[in-house]
Order: sequence, then C-alpha cells, then structure tokens
Amino acid sequence: MRVKANEAVLALGFLGLMITLYLAFNWAPSVNINAFQSPESQRIFYWHVPAAWAAFIAFAVLFVGSAMWFFKRSSLGWKLHIAGSEAGLACGLMAVWSGCVWGAAEWGTPWDWEDWRLNTFGLLTLLALFLVLGRQSQPDGVETRDTFSTFGLYGFILVPLTYVATRIWVIRHPGPVIAGDEDSSISGDMALVLMIGAISFTTLIVGHILTSMEITKFEQRLERLQKELDGE
Amino acid sequence: MEDKTYLSIAYLGMIFGLAIWTWTVVSRSRNMERRIIAMEQSLDIKPDDADSVAVTNDHNEA
Repeated sequence: MRVKANEAVLALGFLGLMITLYLAFNWAPSVNINAFQSPESQRIFYWHVPAAWAAFIAFAVLFVGSAMWFFKRSSLGWKLHIAGSEAGLACGLMAVWSGCVWGAAEWGTPWDWEDWRLNTFGLLTLLALFLVLGRQSQPDGVETRDTFSTFGLYGFILVPLTYVATRIWVIRHPGPVIAGDEDSSISGDMALVLMIGAISFTTLIVGHILTSMEITKFEQRLERLQKELDGE
Repeated sequence: MEDKTYLSIAYLGMIFGLAIWTWTVVSRSRNMERRIIAMEQSLDIKPDDADSVAVTNDHNEA
C-alpha cells in the first residue's frame, strides 16, 4: 500500500516518541532523591514538557488559521484552524494528563486550583475541546466559521498568559527548565532526552496537522459530490 | 504502588491514547479518499478541492 508523506511523518514522530520513552526510562539520569517526594515519577517530565511544547505549536497554528479565515476568508486558514484545534486538544490532554499523574505522585493531588499556570493551560485545552466538539455539532457555513475563528483568535491570549505565569506566578508548578533563571538549568543528558522528545512531538504534530488538513479537503470534495448528486 | 510501575502505566496509557488517535485519523483519511475517488470515477467528475463556503462567500462579497 502506498504510504503518503504525512503518514511517513506520523510514523517518524511515533518512532521518536518510542526512543524518548526508552531513553527516559533507561538512560536519563535520576534526580536527587532528597529533592522530590517521588523521584522516579519525575521521568514523566520527558513526556509532559514536549507535549506542552507541541500543544503551544498547535495553538499557534490555530491562531494563524483563525486570523487567516477571519480577515482573508482563506480556505487554507480554515483548514489550519481545524487542524490546530484538533492537535491542540490532543497535545493539551497529553500535557494535562501527564501533569496530573506527576502531581498525584509528587504533591499528593493531581490538580492545584490556585496555580495560574495549570489553570490557564487547562482553559486552553478546554477551549480546544469546545472548538472541536462545537464545529462538529454545527453546519459548515460562514457564520459558523466566523464564530469559531473568533474564539480561536481571542483564546490565544491564554498562551502568553501561561508563558508569563511560569515566570511570575510560580506557586506549586516547577519553574521553566529552558530559558529560565540560573537555577533552572538541567544536566546535558536530561536536556538531550528532552530535546529528542520535543523534536518527536513536533514531528508527530506536524504529521497530524497535515493529515487533518487532508481530511478537511476530502470533506469539501465530498460536499461538492453531494451537491452534484442533488443537482445543485 | 512502586514509582516505576506507576510511571509505566501512565506512559503506556498515553502512548495507547496517541496510537488510537493516530490510527483513527489515518484510517479515516484513507477510507474517505478511497470512497471519494470511487464516487468521482463512477460519476465522471474531475477532482476539485474548492472550498464551497469560502468560494460562496467570495462571490457574495464581490
């Protein structure tokens, strides 16, 4: 069977994730056992941070797509909006879920309602959920696209807010490990595994965005066929 | 539960979730393409990727 470019990208991303998992379990150094309640659970960080990184890429795609549709009525913009919201939801759920797993082991609670970073990121994921479910429940049309694009545009404000929250309103969630202050640096081996994870997640998300755009294209072809059959 | 066991279950759950999502998306794309090509061939219609909503809107604004 013919393998398309987007499927090859997806497979490459998945392979990278498997390598990341192997390295995270067997190669990455352990953290100081006195610094953490649950030192081994810290290894979920090699999944959690790349997932959050990929989610931010997806939300950026959602924002660009929403703007392209809203201001230019671009068909490509609408495809990017759909792909960005779906990829943002998947990666957002990955980041939230892995964070909850770590929080339950380290803090004794999966969620902290007082932590800004957790809540702004949770809201972003909920926004993506709303966009994905909302779009599927509405007939496709200019008004529907305008409404969802507006949410995509305004919702993006949560991205810089989450970024700022990691630096200013640090309550319980650990501070940034990259581009943070002097105390935030990580060892070379840890950084390498993290980088492989980030590249793998980025590759996977690019593959998903390409596949989602292709599905939207097929849906539009199908709609045209339906109109042909209806004699419109 | 031991730390590593707990972590393994969490990781497996997430990998499984991603795998199901990826498989669903790829199989949906392949099925749709196969059916659309078959329909276009039987109706003798050339493939057209035009977005009817964007096109309609362009016409309305013009």
